[in-house]
Amino acid sequence: MSAPMTRPLQPASSSRSEAGLPRFRWLKSKLIGAALTVYALVTLYPLLWLFISALKTNEEFFSRPFGLPSHWNWSNFSRAWEVAEMGRAYVNSFFVTILSLILTLVLGALSGYVLSRFQFRGKLLVMGVFMLGMLIPIHSTLVPLFILMNKIHILNTYAALIMPYTAFELPIAIFICVAYMNSFPKEVEEAAQIDGSGYWGIFFRMMLPLALPALATVGILAFLRYWNDFSFALVFMSDPKLKTLPLSLSVFATGYSTDYKLTMAAMALAVIPTIIVYLIFQEQVMKGMTAGAVKG
Amino acid sequence: MTSMRTRSFIAIGLLPTLGIFIFFVIVPIVWSAYYGFFDWKGIGPMKFIGLNNYAEVLQDPLFWKSFKNNLLIVAASVFGQVPIALLLSLVLLKNGWFQKFIRASIFMPMVLSSVVVGIIWGYIYHPQIGVLNFLLDSLGLGSWKMQWLSDPSVSMYAIMVPIIWLNVGPYLVMFIAALQNIPSEIDDAAQIDGAHGSRKLFSIKLPMIWDTIKVAVVLCISGSLKAFDLIYVMTGGGPAHSTELLASYMYNNTFSIYRFGYGSAVSTMIVVISLIMVAGSQYLMKSKK
Repeated sequence: MSAPMTRPLQPASSSRSEAGLPRFRWLKSKLIGAALTVYALVTLYPLLWLFISALKTNEEFFSRPFGLPSHWNWSNFSRAWEVAEMGRAYVNSFFVTILSLILTLVLGALSGYVLSRFQFRGKLLVMGVFMLGMLIPIHSTLVPLFILMNKIHILNTYAALIMPYTAFELPIAIFICVAYMNSFPKEVEEAAQIDGSGYWGIFFRMMLPLALPALATVGILAFLRYWNDFSFALVFMSDPKLKTLPLSLSVFATGYSTDYKLTMAAMALAVIPTIIVYLIFQEQVMKGMTAGAVKG
Repeated sequence: MTSMRTRSFIAIGLLPTLGIFIFFVIVPIVWSAYYGFFDWKGIGPMKFIGLNNYAEVLQDPLFWKSFKNNLLIVAASVFGQVPIALLLSLVLLKNGWFQKFIRASIFMPMVLSSVVVGIIWGYIYHPQIGVLNFLLDSLGLGSWKMQWLSDPSVSMYAIMVPIIWLNVGPYLVMFIAALQNIPSEIDDAAQIDGAHGSRKLFSIKLPMIWDTIKVAVVLCISGSLKAFDLIYVMTGGGPAHSTELLASYMYNNTFSIYRFGYGSAVSTMIVVISLIMVAGSQYLMKSKK
């Protein structure tokens, strides 16, 4: 490891007095803390290395892979931006992600409301269909979806990503919304009904604002999935003008490009939005992705 | 009392969602089972060939090799991610800033695009300029240097490391949540009875979170099918198909050599296999206790 590890460790804050000598317990907690720090640094290191390497020259990249750059080449970023046509890829990724997000949130919240607050025939069947959908491995649909979208002529349009993204994210969105809305007391709607609001009024004025925390979880999860998706973009978008960010990066992976500093700079530029989202919403991301993994 | 107004609201609330979901998730699956009966290049006429595609899938040793590689990833997940996450969860239980920082660091790779992860690890493993071989050299272990990704005998194992590195996070969060759910009275009772350390771990903590561990194992199975992106970026399924997975086998057979009928048959097989594996694992988990 390059950085010296002198992180102050948290004192053992065990309130209960357990067996064992205090000295030994203190040493043990220090050791565990040190081991954890090393583990965390090893996990973070590849990302750190990415940002440091993005500022190096190609010579430095292989002669001193662990060192800092002798000169910070900020121009690598602007070069990478041009070479990989990242401006266009950013715009594409942005539009696809935002449009899919809106569709997912609106449909997920509305269907979640219906499934949580109304009793009707076929409700179990509908829930069952969504449940079944979550068992289908996403990659097994690459070929059939390609054929389907080819037939209806939407390959190589934004819709070729927006529709499948939304379709695959909807079950998780609905289940998170239903679970959250089920916890609202009945009085919420009764009050609104007395005010004379119809179902739409209740939905927009009561359910949506109340369900905001659940929608935030759904939104963060969906954002990360859409922004990072590779396989759908790879198969459904062959027009270079429509490439999303992960696709534009994969150009560097094929081995034709040996310009390491540019590859690193391009990747650094691509991960910045997700890192920012993660830094702000850590807790929600961790809880949401875990719940998403369990359900999906 | 389902009035007309209520009924139409239910319909408007559900039909668009169901429509999109069924059209883009369920229909393709059913269709691909059907296309699997044809010899078809993606364009031009389709020739009905009965069960030939399906028979060929089952007889292709490469398909079984891909399946075996998928199972290897399941094994790596069950014996890699789960124990690592369990161990970490035991020492990261408290909610102090230090524990939170470590948890967040461990989870971080999950938010990166798999393309980025793949390229980074590609550089780490690179035989000439890779960080790993550089590190081995500087530690005087030059003889351990390898062509990590281009030697068919080690490539599959080399792929497992980033998969484990990537996926420890969610399991860690699951286990921490489960451990924090153990009522403190039980802990106190054990304390009074004189149970400490490992005794407490094996007779109280582990049995109390056993259900969560089961869920984690089922997750490893369904998650193994998702490694396509990483494989595509790092090795493309090579060298000599040593890292081929079911999904990359399907991709290569469909989009590299334009056998859409055959690719459809493979997709159908993947759906069947994964449903069997998930159902089987849940059955096993239920009957064990």
